Parts: sequence; C-alpha cells; structure tokens
Amino acid sequence: MRRLATALLMLIALAGCAADPAQPPPPAYNSTDVMFLQMSLDHIRQGEQVVALAGPRATDPRVRALINELGAQWQSEAATMGRWLTGWQQPPSADPAAGAHAGHGDLHSLRPADIAELEAARGADFDRTAVSLLLGHLHNCVEVTRMEVTGGQYPPAKALAETMTAQRQSQIQAMLALAA
Amino acid sequence: MRRRTTLPLLTVATVGASLFVAVAPASAHGYISSPPSRQANCARGAVANCGDIVYEPQSVEAPKGSTQCNGGGTRFAVLNDNGRNWPAASVGSSVTFNWVLTARHSTSTWEYFIGGTRLASFNDGGAQPGATKSHTVSMGGFTGRQTVLARWNIADTINAFYSCVDVNIGGGGGTPPTTPPPTTPPTQPPTTPPTQPPAGGTWRAGAAYSPGNVVTYGGASYSCRQAHTALAGWEPPNVPALWSRI
Repeated sequence: MRRLATALLMLIALAGCAADPAQPPPPAYNSTDVMFLQMSLDHIRQGEQVVALAGPRATDPRVRALINELGAQWQSEAATMGRWLTGWQQPPSADPAAGAHAGHGDLHSLRPADIAELEAARGADFDRTAVSLLLGHLHNCVEVTRMEVTGGQYPPAKALAETMTAQRQSQIQAMLALAA
Repeated sequence: MRRRTTLPLLTVATVGASLFVAVAPASAHGYISSPPSRQANCARGAVANCGDIVYEPQSVEAPKGSTQCNGGGTRFAVLNDNGRNWPAASVGSSVTFNWVLTARHSTSTWEYFIGGTRLASFNDGGAQPGATKSHTVSMGGFTGRQTVLARWNIADTINAFYSCVDVNIGGGGGTPPTTPPPTTPPTQPPTTPPTQPPAGGTWRAGAAYSPGNVVTYGGASYSCRQAHTALAGWEPPNVPALWSRI
C-alpha cells in the first residue's frame, strides 16, 4: 500500500509539472485575503464620501491636507485591490448588494445620517465632525488591515495591508493631535 | 483497498481547511478623544509602550459597573497604571468630552466619575448615537489633578466601554505625576511640566507647545505660532504653520 501511495504522490507531482513546465504557479491566496480586499473596498467607498465633502470644505488647512492625502492613497489602493479580486474571479464586495446598502444597518459603517450630519455642520463644528467620523472609520479600517497581516496568505496583499496599517495609524495620530 | 482513498481525502480536507480559516475582526466601539483619554494618548504616541491599545483604543469593553480604567477586563491593564506619565489636560470647572465611535450601539447611559463620585449621567433611552457624541460635565468642585472615568453603557449587551481622562482642573498646565517613568527623555528638566517646554529647549515629538514657546532644532531656534502637540514629521522646519524661525 505504501508503494501505491508513493506512486500516487509522484504521479500528482509529475502531473503538476507537466501542466506548466516553465512557470511556477502564482502565489496562493486564502479567504482572509479575499475578505480583506472586499471589506477594505467597502471601507474606501464609504470613506470617500467624507473625503469628497471635507477635502474642499474643511477650514483647518491641516485637516484638508490629511483628508486629501487619505483620499489619494485610497484611490490607488482601491485600484490594486479591484485588480486582484478580478484576477481571482471574486466579487468586489462580500455582499452583492453592498453598493446599494452600504451604511444601512451595519453598526461599523458610516451611515447616510452621519454623512448628512457632516454636510449640515458649519465652521469649526464641520472640521470636528469630519475628524471624529474619520477617526472612527480609520480604526475600523485598521482592524481589517491587521486581520490581513495576521491571517492573509497572498504576499502582495499582506504587504499592502502592512503599508495601510502604518499609513492609517500615522493619520490617526495626526487627527488625534488635532482633536485633542 | 480501503486505504487507497486516504491520501486524496486528506489532501482535500487540508486544502479545504486552509481556504476556510477566516480571522474575524474584533468588534470595537468607542473612546474619548478630547480631552485625550489614556487610550487616546497611547494611540497618538504621547505615551509610549502601551501595547496593542495603540491599534484599538476603541476596544476597552468589559461588563458594566467597573471603576477601573480598563473596565476590569483581561486586556489593556496599562490603562490602570497610574505610574505612567499620563499627560493631564488643563480644564476649567466644566469639561466637554468628545467621543470617537467605531460602532453606534443602542445606548442606555453615559456616566462620568471622579473617584467614587458620579459627576453626571446622560440617559439615551436605548437610542443610537449620531455622527458625533459630546457631553459637557461639571467637575463638581474637584480641583487639581484628577482622573475622570467615563462609562458608555450599552443598552442591549451586559457590557460598557471605559475611558479614563486625566485632567488638571483649574490648572495652568498638565502636571506630570509624582513618579516620572524611566522613559522620560533627558531633554526635559524634571522641574518643568511637559506642556511648558523651556525657552531654548530642544524640540521633541509628544511635547505640547503653546504660542511663544521657543525651541531649538537642527541648530536653529523657532518660535511656536499655534498651540499643538508635536508629532514626528512636524519638526519645526517642516511645518511653517506651527513654527517660525527666529
């Protein structure tokens, strides 16, 4: 029986080689990688609403600069994430209806009511609301990026998650200093 | 012949397991950002070596009723350590506390304490908080350096979220605790509170500066233009909005 098992293993190995003799297989990914990309894309879609409102309107130039930096980083991250998910033939969002329902009911989402409150705020109150909303939102983003660093498998996604964790933490630090 | 199927079955099981192991993110919720709570001071780097709390200041969750800064849970014991150099915010006889929320739970009450005295309680009657949450609380005649304990009591769970805020009531500046930790940078003379760096001191991240403060950096002197707490990257030559060269 052992010889049969060995033969079987060799057969599998040979079949693997024969299928693609020149190129090594692409790095594997796991469900945490997929979840990280899908959840982060949802986070970015929500956060971009704050960026669109507050990037131009914030009174404090330091708040404006932070928000615009965040918006640019999100844009480039979203492009990479969408490309990977497409390559893996995975949907861009865990919930097929997330585009329509983002922010409805999920405790950890930015709700339409939050965006409306921001839109209605004026002056220093506007800046304070924007910073407060973004702080909460970035903490949620960091939970997901740290999950990927720990549990992901696809090396480029893990590297992206590490970069995102560091960038978001430094933005959180700067916003906490502004909020203090 | 039965054993022949073992290997392929095992292989399938292993691949399946590796595909479906998912790490669910911790559920997390809120803390006081202003005046900075202990976890906010950890997260913004004003206090060093805090551990994991820097990534999740919003996660100090424990059963209701504790009087400890970490809620009496198993995590984040650093928040209970009064020997840390917690900066104390200068405040008047009433203080507005601002929360950062990462999940907007139905809320029963928000409570504020100094020692065993409850300063205030705000009853939300099970409502969800809005975009922001602030409360203005009278300090009830307390003066000097105090630690305010805030509890956010969730309506539909047994838990609360805990946030301790160090304040100096009626004080002119945050006074450091009596036992400075060994991590205090040597550039800070022990007689000077951290919020008032001496004229001619070396700029450092984490220090709070007010207009008129003069620091040296890279061999040049700079005068502070607006009040702020310095961060790495905000070195005087980099931030003309905060520092003007003398």
